[in-house]
Amino acid sequence: MQRLSILLFASGWLVVAYLVSSVQAQEQAPGPIQGNKEGISYRLSVPTVEQIAAFYEGRGFPRRAIQALTKACFITVFLANRRQDVVWLELNRWRFVDAQGKEVPRLPRPHWNALWQKLDVPPAHRATFGWTQLPERRDLRPQEPVGGNVTVVPPRGTFTLEARFYTGARKEGKDIVLRFAGLACPGRAAKEVNP
Amino acid sequence: MRRVVLLFWLWWAPFGLSAGELPVGLIPLDGRPAPPLRLADMSGKVTDLKGLRGRWVMVHFWASWCRPCRKEMPSIQRMAEQLVPQHLQLVMVNTAETDETVFSFLAVVTPDLDTLMDRDGQVTDRWQPRGLPSSFFVDPQGRLRYLALGGRKWDTPPYMSFLRALPGSLPPPGGPKNGPK
Repeated sequence: MQRLSILLFASGWLVVAYLVSSVQAQEQAPGPIQGNKEGISYRLSVPTVEQIAAFYEGRGFPRRAIQALTKACFITVFLANRRQDVVWLELNRWRFVDAQGKEVPRLPRPHWNALWQKLDVPPAHRATFGWTQLPERRDLRPQEPVGGNVTVVPPRGTFTLEARFYTGARKEGKDIVLRFAGLACPGRAAKEVNP
Repeated sequence: MRRVVLLFWLWWAPFGLSAGELPVGLIPLDGRPAPPLRLADMSGKVTDLKGLRGRWVMVHFWASWCRPCRKEMPSIQRMAEQLVPQHLQLVMVNTAETDETVFSFLAVVTPDLDTLMDRDGQVTDRWQPRGLPSSFFVDPQGRLRYLALGGRKWDTPPYMSFLRALPGSLPPPGGPKNGPK
């Protein structure tokens, strides 16, 4: 009887330990970073692999496309120009740098277009994917919002995004620099994606 | 003569609106011809933008996964209930989603609205909206006159006033109303 009680007690603890470990194994998306700097309001978050997969699976993306998407690191960005002049979103002025100061390569649209071609992803899914990405370049008019994902090769450890914006209709204004440190893309292997 | 001047003014009044006078988020366009748009809705009924000459057309691009699209959709339905389709026609275009997704979304959120289906996203690409949602205003001659950036509450006074400034697009307050279909 005593043996049975010990056995039940031990197996109970095993079940509890298993449940706790599986909950811990689920990635938690850190909360969004939001604010306003010099008239650019921003909201930035790094979705988990599960969130990325769920979003595109929900839109009927084929398995091969989901596998490719979940190997990349997505940064979801919303910006709104609350200034009286034009703000220039130009992704080639955004720099991603890892904790060792090494540049983290961005995965621009041509990378994805070539990949969709190779994987024979249907046009509707290519279009949807395109609309979920931040435009490469946009002159944001006063009050204009813009939102979407930027993708990078998953870095090891944390990384920093430094986003530079020209201002003024002819880019004559002072640059605005937004800096986001301590970003991370857990659960993705850096080796698997080639920009 | 006075009548002619008044008609002329009414016809051109909205074209004279500068960016500063337009409600927030609307920008004037240069009047280039609207790209072709010929699409079917979920029941197969085809709408061709060419066939809508002679009235203003609001071409609205949207997708159910887009948060601001979902947020503004009910206000589009309330706005559409006040439109006179002979003067201002709402044409909604869903970008690259399936009939199942769109049907289940509209049935719950805005059951009185219908949408054209851009199943492969090619028409949306040709129009080059600056994001989703986007609404273009096409004048009675088929030219692009205004673009609304992002989402908004279309049935609020600044936007309803803008729509009323499009000649003949809306009845005066208290006048007859038509449904969106």
